[in-house]
Amino acid sequence: MKLGWNLTWFILVIVAFLVPLIIRSNDYFLSIFILCAIYVILASSLRTIASTGQICVGIMAFTGIGAYTSVLLMMKLHWHIWATLPLAGLTSMAIASIIAYPSVRVRGIYFSMVTLFFVQVIQAILMEWKSMTGGSMGILNVPSIGIISIFGLNIDFGHPLPYSYFVLVITVISLLFLYRIDHSRLGTTMASIEQGELLSKSVGINTVGLKVASFCIGSFFAGVAGCLYAHHLRVLVPSSFGLFPSIYILIDMVAGGRKKFIGPIIGAIILTIIPQLFSSFAQYQPFFYVAALYVVLYTLPGGLADLPTLIKSRLSKMRERRMANN
Amino acid sequence: MFWQGLLAGFAEAWIYILVALGLALCFSIMRILQFAHGEIYMLGAYVVYYVLFGTHVNYFAALIISGLTLGVLGIILERIMFRRLRGNMEPALLAAIGLTLIFQTIGAILFTSYTKYIPVPGIFSGVLVLGTVKLPWIRLGIGIIGLVLVLILILVIRFTKAGRAMVAISQNAEAAELQGINVNPISAITLGIASALAAIAGGLMGTMLPLSPYMGTFAITKAIGVIIIAGIGSIPGVIVGGLILGLVDGIVPLYIDPTIADIIGFGIVILILLIKPEGLFGHE
Repeated sequence: MKLGWNLTWFILVIVAFLVPLIIRSNDYFLSIFILCAIYVILASSLRTIASTGQICVGIMAFTGIGAYTSVLLMMKLHWHIWATLPLAGLTSMAIASIIAYPSVRVRGIYFSMVTLFFVQVIQAILMEWKSMTGGSMGILNVPSIGIISIFGLNIDFGHPLPYSYFVLVITVISLLFLYRIDHSRLGTTMASIEQGELLSKSVGINTVGLKVASFCIGSFFAGVAGCLYAHHLRVLVPSSFGLFPSIYILIDMVAGGRKKFIGPIIGAIILTIIPQLFSSFAQYQPFFYVAALYVVLYTLPGGLADLPTLIKSRLSKMRERRMANN
Repeated sequence: MFWQGLLAGFAEAWIYILVALGLALCFSIMRILQFAHGEIYMLGAYVVYYVLFGTHVNYFAALIISGLTLGVLGIILERIMFRRLRGNMEPALLAAIGLTLIFQTIGAILFTSYTKYIPVPGIFSGVLVLGTVKLPWIRLGIGIIGLVLVLILILVIRFTKAGRAMVAISQNAEAAELQGINVNPISAITLGIASALAAIAGGLMGTMLPLSPYMGTFAITKAIGVIIIAGIGSIPGVIVGGLILGLVDGIVPLYIDPTIADIIGFGIVILILLIKPEGLFGHE
């Protein structure tokens, strides 16, 4: 069993590393690949926050904070990506920690309400603070992450193919962190809070502290994703970081299934690629997300990641019935 | 200028109150957060607009028609969507989020982007001039209509059987059922009343601001702010909470900045969560 799962992950990573090479001649496909990776990080961060039972509807606030942090540090202080990337995450995490404490002490639904408010406040700040953020027009000349020398080779990561690999490496590292946290003692304790908060508290688990922790961890990686996003698009506008983009990420997580770690990854990949295939119907794109959401809500509560389990159980039921009839 | 800001804030407050009351009713009685409530508000505004421009009825009749239409929609939504998710917060929230996307997208496709205002009805047109201050009558009118509707709601809850059933369910749904109260129709009525109030609020707001398929987000955000400040289970609380947020939104933009007004509103919400998480007037 364990070997089976590890083998699956290993194969997935290998395939992921091969994809950019295969599609290297098509910049559009590479762009979709990069966006998929970014949304994978975001959906997985959302899952970490949700592991303590908190549904965040405003993850893009932290993505935006990370994006603007990295871009401003790079443009105004000329710092290198190796500094701005972690700082993007840390700034998001710092701001998350400020609003975390009051938001987690109360019932779960209040947390969602506060994140709803928060993402809109952050978006409003990004739009109004013209001196720093360029207002609603945004920042139009985001620098690429430039030339980095790896093992003596100078690679210009401003181009789509090298940048795809940069993003992929950061994604894999982020997912590794999130996976290790999820499968550690910390992660299982966090999951127990969702199962029964009162019970967890009664055995001495610091539910408030862990809820703040999961929120901070999730927001850190959302900030990192924001940095990757900014240097990919090279244009930074506040409208990308509002309530509805956040809701799409939430749907990615729900549609993929949030019980298994791979759920949000599947959700993010499928729900990013398919709308792109039908980009001529962009007006109707939200309906696709709605359809995915309702299909999962009403027929497949565990999300798409649950599909193999569901098929297996149906097949075994059919087999049993056939054997009983014989 | 201060008085104009005060009056504008007062009018906005009543609009927030009408939307927040519906949201609070849904929350207390059905234990769900009707995220799409803002979209009901938006649809209500558009119904008023199209009724006014398609028929010869007056503004108040249009408001009532809009209220009834969205009220019926609310009852239908309860039946087909929210009934089986009642009490189950997370799936209900997600389903309501889906509903929000549906209505907003339909709105964006159907309602073109040229500016639509709802014209101010004759009785409320013009300004009241007190010295150097000019106070548009419509803003007073909105406050009056809001107050009247809230009073009617309070009377309905206090003196009708359905209203008292609502109170019973909000206190203890299981006990209410044991007493013979049928929760299903009461939930439907609740969502119906909530939707009607939100629709009328939308129709009122349309006289002050242009209509937009995205106006619902504004409404749901303010309504959620009001119910966090006010707490669950108290109508006077919602009135106070609405007045607080409304007056901030009316006065602060005049002296500082509209964004600072939003930030102050958010700050008040966080402050309440820190100091009195159950809300200023909350029970639970």
